[in-house]
Amino acid sequence: MGRPIDARELVKSFGPVRAVQGLSLHLDPAEALGLLGPNGAGKSTTLAMLMGLRAPDTGEVRLFGHKAGSAAARAQMGVTPQAAGFPDQLTPREVLTYAAARRGGGIGLDDVVAAFGLAPLIDRRMAGFSGGEVRRVALALAFLGRPVLVFLDEPTAGLDPTAQEAFRATARAYVAKGGALILTSHHWDEIEAVCDRITMIDKGRAVLDGTLQDIRARMRGRQIGFGLPQDVAPPEWLRAERQGSRWRVESGDSDACLRRMMAENLAFHDLTVEPLALKDIIARIGQEERA
Amino acid sequence: MTNRQLLAELTLVLRILLRQPGFWVPTVLFPAMLYAFFGAGLAGDGPGAGYAMASFAVYAVLGVGFYQFGVTVAQDRADPFILWQRLLPGSALAPWVARVAAGVGFSALAMALVLLLGKVLGGVLLADGAAWVRLVGITLLAALPATLMGTALGSVASVRAAVPLANLVFLPLAYLGGLWMPPQLLPAAVNAISVLTPTRAMGELAWAALDGRALPGWYLGVLAAWTLAAAGVTWLAQARHRRAVFG
Repeated sequence: MGRPIDARELVKSFGPVRAVQGLSLHLDPAEALGLLGPNGAGKSTTLAMLMGLRAPDTGEVRLFGHKAGSAAARAQMGVTPQAAGFPDQLTPREVLTYAAARRGGGIGLDDVVAAFGLAPLIDRRMAGFSGGEVRRVALALAFLGRPVLVFLDEPTAGLDPTAQEAFRATARAYVAKGGALILTSHHWDEIEAVCDRITMIDKGRAVLDGTLQDIRARMRGRQIGFGLPQDVAPPEWLRAERQGSRWRVESGDSDACLRRMMAENLAFHDLTVEPLALKDIIARIGQEERA
Repeated sequence: MTNRQLLAELTLVLRILLRQPGFWVPTVLFPAMLYAFFGAGLAGDGPGAGYAMASFAVYAVLGVGFYQFGVTVAQDRADPFILWQRLLPGSALAPWVARVAAGVGFSALAMALVLLLGKVLGGVLLADGAAWVRLVGITLLAALPATLMGTALGSVASVRAAVPLANLVFLPLAYLGGLWMPPQLLPAAVNAISVLTPTRAMGELAWAALDGRALPGWYLGVLAAWTLAAAGVTWLAQARHRRAVFG
């Protein structure tokens, strides 16, 4: 049995537009991969090829060694329907029962019903469901029956904070038990909370690929925050930005930076030093590569 | 395609349909109503009454299968739920089988109403019980090509075009096939086209079943050709659609 996802040299064009050009990507068991990129970067096309909805022009996608889209590949994977994609006449129990039957039956609904708080909704028709409620049903469908590979496209769009938290816990528990998970998201904090590794796509190529740990280590950047008295401006070399009543500095070597601040007797107060947020790291890597 | 999956698909399709009475009640009632207005009275009580009833039974099956179940396929192409179904484990054919089966089932209901009306209100007398059984059997058989022809049209047409186009095809077909008036009354030129239509073939088969005659080979052939063509067009159009959307 091969890797959960093994995609090699994917190329996909739509007429003159090269949506994906030579993208390779893999996912191992017990791993969560975040797929990032601006709109139009080729994320959706890539995901569609990985799931087997679209065939690449050249290159190949294998899921556990099976061709993407084949019955054998589909038997291994769980996918969320797109939001707002349920027939109004059905209840969550009916859709879940249907999905369980398609997975071969003998699958209890209790796990996912509990994980996504569906108990109060389970026997109501979905016609009047809010966006968040529909989303919870969609997530439950992806995890139903513990498939060994789960695809999630913008999983928490429209979810309230409690449901987002529940989703993250479920996703982490799933990965901890050996599941493989791939998700796209615009929420950086979600990617940080759920994923082990990210692949960043831009203009149809993977521009960044690595574990979050490696990426953080590579960028030993810190953010330094502090306050200054009203009449004091930060020195030019510090390149500090105002943030409300405070100042913020991004630095590759926070130690040296702090030493110089002390040496110059800068009158700072309420000092904080924190690791850079993932989104700032990625922005810096982008700047460095362009420079 | 496992039985378990087929059962699940059927349950799903029937649940969605039955919970839309605004859709299926008028659909099932319409042919019976039309028969009550134009078929039962006009044909008198001679042998013509039986033929008229058989024609409207065919019309019922055609209307429900072709129009309501086949053509709606066009709308389904854009449906995210159907897209998701494609990604589930199991057979991709089973959801189609279930929908055709549901189409045939509702066609049967519409036909049963016409026959009931014919027997109870129209006082149609057939030779014996076997004639009723033969008529039901043949008409049900016609539901399959009817549904497939609708599916073909729905697969080729765009979402907005499907319903008007279906009107444009369906009503002339019913007329040309001699379902509304006996084919003997059709002008000769129209009759020359009529013998090639699927509706005429369905009608002729139903009338022969009514009389207990051997089924006419020509019309069996015509209907088989239409069925194959419809299945072929559906398959090609769906394949083309898959390439366009999923290619």
